[in-house]
Amino acid sequence: MGAGASAGLAGCSQSESTETGSGTTQELPGVAGETLTLTTTTSTYDTGLLDEIHTDFQELYGVTVDAIAQGTGAALETARAGDSDIVMVHARGLEDEFMRNGYGVNRRDLMFNDFVILGPAADPAGIDGLGSATEALATIADAESTFVSRGDNSGTHTKELDLWAAAGTDPAGEWYQETGTGMGEALNIATQQGAYTLSDRGTYISRRAELDIAIRVQGPIEGGPAILANPYGIMAVNPGVHENANYDLAIAYIGWITSPGAQEAISSYQVDDEQLFFPEAVSADPGFQQYVPEGWSSDSDDG
Amino acid sequence: MLRARNLAHVYEETTVFEGLSIGVEPGEVLAIIGPSGGGKTTLLELLSLSLPPTAGTVSVGGVDAWAADAASRLALRRQVGMVFQEASLFGATVARNVEYGLRIRRSWRARVRDQLSGLWGATETSPAVRDALAVVGMDDQRDQPAGALSGGEAQRVAFARALAYDASVLLLDEPASDLDPRNTAALEAAIEEAASRGIGVVIATHDMHQARRVADRVGVLLDGQITEIGPPAQVFERPTDERTRRFISGELVY
Amino acid sequence: MTPPLVLELLPALIDLPFRDGYVSSIVWVSLSVSLLAVTLSTLVSIPTAILLGFREFPGRRLLKTLINTGMGFPSVVVGLLVLFVVSNQGPLGSFELIFTRQAMVMSQFVLATPPITAISLAAITGVRQEIRDAARALGGTRLDVALVVLKEARYGIATAILAGFGRAISEVGSVLIVGGNITSASGISRTRTLTTAIQLEARQGQYETALMLGAVLLVLVLTVNAIVVRYGDGGIQR
Repeated sequence: MGAGASAGLAGCSQSESTETGSGTTQELPGVAGETLTLTTTTSTYDTGLLDEIHTDFQELYGVTVDAIAQGTGAALETARAGDSDIVMVHARGLEDEFMRNGYGVNRRDLMFNDFVILGPAADPAGIDGLGSATEALATIADAESTFVSRGDNSGTHTKELDLWAAAGTDPAGEWYQETGTGMGEALNIATQQGAYTLSDRGTYISRRAELDIAIRVQGPIEGGPAILANPYGIMAVNPGVHENANYDLAIAYIGWITSPGAQEAISSYQVDDEQLFFPEAVSADPGFQQYVPEGWSSDSDDG
Repeated sequence: MLRARNLAHVYEETTVFEGLSIGVEPGEVLAIIGPSGGGKTTLLELLSLSLPPTAGTVSVGGVDAWAADAASRLALRRQVGMVFQEASLFGATVARNVEYGLRIRRSWRARVRDQLSGLWGATETSPAVRDALAVVGMDDQRDQPAGALSGGEAQRVAFARALAYDASVLLLDEPASDLDPRNTAALEAAIEEAASRGIGVVIATHDMHQARRVADRVGVLLDGQITEIGPPAQVFERPTDERTRRFISGELVY
Repeated sequence: MTPPLVLELLPALIDLPFRDGYVSSIVWVSLSVSLLAVTLSTLVSIPTAILLGFREFPGRRLLKTLINTGMGFPSVVVGLLVLFVVSNQGPLGSFELIFTRQAMVMSQFVLATPPITAISLAAITGVRQEIRDAARALGGTRLDVALVVLKEARYGIATAILAGFGRAISEVGSVLIVGGNITSASGISRTRTLTTAIQLEARQGQYETALMLGAVLLVLVLTVNAIVVRYGDGGIQR
């Protein structure tokens, strides 16, 4: 499935024609007039990227995209129930499970950004400039410096838990505070308390003017450890599981967003004069692993 | 006009009446006197067709009300008006209160039109309403809110309310029982006027002087029975029944 | 916290930091959803209150308990229940109501009905028996008597409807779940209400903006209340 196969789709209804101002007819794709329901995470939505690029897609096909920001878990759950047509999250483990269960098809790597570890200028735990995220967290735990966690099973929280596990530490105690809030709110809380926290770079950039905490450990975009990478994937809801999923339009969307034009638009998107997302979809490297659960091979027992 | 025959009524295992017969003719004022709690109100409720008797018949204009179907009975019930001891006026102007009986007898379409035109602004008070108010001497207060009236004035408006829609029988439960002489006089004048128009009026009262003043006939309700019935002079001065005599002379204590 | 907050708010109040049409579109969605839900709820609640007030029927006490419980029911839970019903996998899945304003009206209908019913019931049963007797004695049918009772209880019923409206327009949990807080890419709301917009700003940590939207909501609710009260006073002549 590539970018070019978008319009001529299996099961597509007749194209519709419309008169343009000059009197010539213009063919609109058969999906014109329909609505694509896309579920994604709150941090993705809050960057404003989707509102920026969706206009192009909508005009191209004469359709509407309803972008719904839920938590990572909720976005996948909604897609699993068939209430959305396409899902965009950044939690590879959960995406793999989604595919294994047959709920999602046609996965593509979309883009990536990264996480950063933020903390107060005073840096009580002394982690500033460390090249290892796990070492930084272990140090914070040892020093029992206040750490603010999302605590909500979001993509960010999942990554944070992975890091603690990799650091061999089980965070517990007064210094470890689980807020159960969105990223922006969590940053406010961390600032007020002069605490450390893990944040996606995008939210940090859009909030940094109001914060008293700053980057102590960089992510891979600025030379930090690869473990802090935050890759985004997109999947269409399997029409074999949900007959009324708008598969045609979902594939059109995936085709469009992984096309060079849209990927360029993604890389041009800036907040506070900084690029937020780094496109991954267009590559000479075949990247087979993006289509299947990580580690899958035809020799394995999976699917 | 309105006739009860062999009325029996049982309430919570107590026999209130048995074999009671009474009637009122057009243009007649019938007073029912008796002790408090003796069943006068119940009798009126039975006569007003709002309560079915345990046995016996209640007829309006010769038609047995409880043998008729519900629609016919509603029509019969609407020929009988009842005024209670408490005026219980609605939270609206005097005129709107008196108009109520007229309004509910019109078609639904007309009623909706009434409501809508009432919302946009003041409407004309219908002649029937003004006439009924004039009978009780309250026409000049027709635009007052009901809540602003004194107890006596409210009682008079309640009477006008029952009078306005041309009922053929009016039942009054202890009218003027708490009223000052001025309001009492106005009410009694209204009762006379109603009777003169051919309406049959039944008054339940414990006030024997009132009965004397307004009634053409007086019935005495004792022990669940009409022990005496006849013109006031006869009942009060030459009662035939011993119980009546003792009640009237005040010897019986209830 | 308050003095600096007020100083920060002042310049922002004059200049709402949103694209053209954003605020008016979310106000429109809030109002249209809640007004429709409250209207439908009133049509159901008033007859229910009359029934509960004046008629004996099997299950009467159960219904009363349900309504009183419903008054304190969290809006998120109602949202989840409606979600289960309108979801693709639910009984009404084929109507594709998920993430639509219709689903939001449904959940707010469920939220508004208990307070409207319960408060109307209190107003209706507060009407004295003598009034009902008088209406009946003047020849009123059961329906006539019920209408008299409603008219006598009209101020209490207006309070009930306002209470239901307040609950509907200020709730966020259910419309967030069944509506999805959606705007078009150009920022015009499709299922985003004032309350879910506030929640979004708060989630992003934009507290001042959230408060400004809260002020808009407050003005909205005050306006609706003022209109109802004025109309009510104007009608006192009747």
